Amino acid sequence: MTEVVESAASKRLKRVALTMLTFLLMVLMCLPGLWVVLSAFRPNREILAKPPIWIPETLTLDNFGKIFGWGTEQVAIPVGSYFANSLIIALTSTVIALLIGMAGGYAFARYSFRGKGSLFLGFMLFRAVPGIALSLPVFMIWSRLGLIDTKAGLIIVYVSLNVPFTLWLIDGFFRQIPVSLSEAAQVDGCTRWQAFWKIEFPLARSGIAAAGVFAFLTSWNEFALASQLTRSTDSKTLPVGLLDFTAQFTIDWAGMCAMAVIIIIPALVLTFIVQKHLIAGLTFGGVKG
Amino acid sequence: MAEITLEKVVKSYGAVKVVHGIDLSIAHEEFVVLVGPSGCGKSTTLRMIAGLEDISGGMIRIGGRVVNDLPPRKRNISMVFQNYALYPHMNVRDNLGFGLKIAGEPPATIAARVAEAAEILGLTPLLDRTPAELSGGQRQRVAMGRAIVRHPDAFLFDEPLSNLDAKLRGQMRAEIKKLHQKVRTTVVYVTHDQVEAMTLADRIVVMRDGHIEQVGTPMEVFNHPRTAFVATFIGSPPMNLLPATVSGGAVRLADGTAVPVPDRLKNQAREGQRVQLGIRPDDISPVGHGLSQDGPGAEVELTVDLAEPLGMESLIYTRLAGQEVQAKLYGPRIVQPGERLTFRLALDRAHLFDATTGLSVRAS
Amino acid sequence: MIRALRTRRVETAPFLLLTPALITMLFVVAVPLVFSLWASLTPYQLTKPATLWRFIGPENYRRAVTDSAFWIVFGRTILFLTIALNVELLLGLGIALLINRITWGQRTLRTIMMFPMMFSPILVGFQFKFLFNDNIGIVNNALQSLGLTDQAIPWLVDARLAMFSITLAEVWMSTSVFAILLLAGLFAMPRDPLEAAKVDGCNAWQVFRHITLPFLMPFAYIAMAIRSLDVARAYDIVAVMTDGGPAGRTELLWTVIARVGYENAKMGQANAIAFISTLLSIAFTWHFYRKLVAARRYMGGAA
Repeated sequence: MTEVVESAASKRLKRVALTMLTFLLMVLMCLPGLWVVLSAFRPNREILAKPPIWIPETLTLDNFGKIFGWGTEQVAIPVGSYFANSLIIALTSTVIALLIGMAGGYAFARYSFRGKGSLFLGFMLFRAVPGIALSLPVFMIWSRLGLIDTKAGLIIVYVSLNVPFTLWLIDGFFRQIPVSLSEAAQVDGCTRWQAFWKIEFPLARSGIAAAGVFAFLTSWNEFALASQLTRSTDSKTLPVGLLDFTAQFTIDWAGMCAMAVIIIIPALVLTFIVQKHLIAGLTFGGVKG
Repeated sequence: MAEITLEKVVKSYGAVKVVHGIDLSIAHEEFVVLVGPSGCGKSTTLRMIAGLEDISGGMIRIGGRVVNDLPPRKRNISMVFQNYALYPHMNVRDNLGFGLKIAGEPPATIAARVAEAAEILGLTPLLDRTPAELSGGQRQRVAMGRAIVRHPDAFLFDEPLSNLDAKLRGQMRAEIKKLHQKVRTTVVYVTHDQVEAMTLADRIVVMRDGHIEQVGTPMEVFNHPRTAFVATFIGSPPMNLLPATVSGGAVRLADGTAVPVPDRLKNQAREGQRVQLGIRPDDISPVGHGLSQDGPGAEVELTVDLAEPLGMESLIYTRLAGQEVQAKLYGPRIVQPGERLTFRLALDRAHLFDATTGLSVRAS
Repeated sequence: MIRALRTRRVETAPFLLLTPALITMLFVVAVPLVFSLWASLTPYQLTKPATLWRFIGPENYRRAVTDSAFWIVFGRTILFLTIALNVELLLGLGIALLINRITWGQRTLRTIMMFPMMFSPILVGFQFKFLFNDNIGIVNNALQSLGLTDQAIPWLVDARLAMFSITLAEVWMSTSVFAILLLAGLFAMPRDPLEAAKVDGCNAWQVFRHITLPFLMPFAYIAMAIRSLDVARAYDIVAVMTDGGPAGRTELLWTVIARVGYENAKMGQANAIAFISTLLSIAFTWHFYRKLVAARRYMGGAA
């Protein structure tokens, strides 16, 4: 009798220990990020203090104001422009990539045609080209076309960067919608086009939104191509700005951390909203083919 | 007038032909059922009528118009799909009214027709629900409501009851029949279930491997099957088929047992012809426990292998000429395995099918 | 007549829909790649534009593969990738197994686990640059405060330590991908074989080794293949943490490309190295794709 009670208790103990271990692990994973976020709210002198100050004594928003050029101290990194550039470029390239991806994804999901497999493979292989490798010829061609240091130049590249994955995701989402729904709509009086917009598109909406978030984040976070195709505040994006910052000001850590926080916030918010779909998108059709 | 005519309709996928030139005439307001095993081409044919599949050859007319090149929305037909295909993001009311909205009907007309259809199908209390909130039977009715709301020339049903459990299926069958009596429109109905075919159809079209085996009323198809396939497909439990040879004016079974050739077939059966003797379980019964005891018959003693009591009748498994055969016993008598009984074969209801062509002997 | 038209119309729809995608990929990726191939066969230098039109064949490639410095970088890159991918796989597996056992708070855990994925590689690099800074970085501060050392450990300067720091950053960034995919695999696993094994007398380790692990292999290979495609994102990390230095101690294939192409303006040479790096990515992906196909075939009956 006591034997049974004991093993039940020890099982529980094991489970609690396991849970705690896992949470500890998770915290460790988040620690680097959290430390950066925390540092963004501390004055620079605290960060540079020796011996190190572990418990923050003052918390301030000055760093954020500083890098945007507000407040009393001016910093020579035009973060406001970078932010605007990143936003415009990421949004525009996402919308265009979504439209192209929707069209292509629908074609893959609903039609069977010769060369479908190899076309798909080709699209996917493009992703294997390292960003920096692609940047070389694009740089050469773009400079001839006058697209260096323009937002449009970067937008065009990012669209092509996003199309394959967006197409693949949206293909998967359209496949989940039974064909008979479109057929029923056509029998009910719709053209194929109408059936798409009134029936299939609304049903795939959340999946398309997830694909959009993926594309946005890819553009928002991209560095290799942006670093070579931009020159000035006309088109420089936040990742490039961060590198510039670290290269110039290796003592204003607080400012750099603040900039890092600005870069991560949209990503965090968007990812949180669609985290369910991200997992589905990553694994969908992966093993089942 | 909404007759549907199929002339030499062919369907091929690349080099593979799945429908081999079928001809069919469906009259206005007729309820026609296409029935057959899976892969026989019945759904493909239905989808060609609907316009959801291209027609590889031949011609289809609806109400006199050739519709080969018309998209589904121009054919004025409605379809009820196997999985109902209700629009998940709309409620019942919007599902019903969708087709009319696309057609540009004024809101007043839409509301009136939706209310009418809902009334006929008992959907009125459900109008504000979404498909996810409905039971299987309710969804089925919404699918039918969506079909009738547009007042089409024809209804097409693609195995609408396959996804329902047995009890519900029986209920919905009756509802579909009542619906047809109320809303008299041409119906083309596809199923693999011969019970549905028998109970619903004005005429049955039995299909196999892309060909039409027989077209006829349920009773015609049941009582006068044109081929051995139709004979065993229609009717449950299926007709028994026993290989035999016509010799000396009698039908000789595999073990030599001789059964007289039924009178009506005397002139058609050839001497020496290899045939299959077809006789339904309903027409083999122990003496005194059959449907009818007069008319030409043959008696034979058989041992009961197994008896399945079904209430007021029993299904009996026995062996005749070395082959398992099913027979029916009408009445409350319980039969034990191993019992030896005299069975009577009702010869006026027996069939002969040519062993090679499968055609019924009367037909050839 | 009209019938034939109709059949053809249905055929063209998919190609019309795919045209924008095809055009985009063609002009922004395919054409530049072809151009890159051409450039790699020329002695093109940015400062001497005329050199673009001189064809010198595989001279750039020959120069690269006969350069011992190139091979050091190449070897370092492959070592880096191999270690990183394997560590990520193991850690990801461990994390997935852990999370799979937890029932309470699992959703929160899954969200936290995805945390590192949201970081831009440049951010990851910056983050660890900050952490590993020998002066004010939290790592050195913690080590010193705990009394484990009284020196400022040069995480980003010493050759081996720098590679370690970079690898750590890469592992931190991408373990989540493995963890998510393997967790999905664990979720998808049918319970019956597990229970049958337990009834047959297997202990926990045997069940894992003979039932769980084989089932998870396809997921592991998918993760490897997906990661192999993205592997060049490590460039961003290296660029911000050490930029290939100091003195080329952390030079990887990709930083070489940037240096040769943009700093030294030797575009022809850079394009050759770029092609080699692309082939490397494809080779890794192809390798894992083949293993995936083999694993799927093996699992055919059970999965």
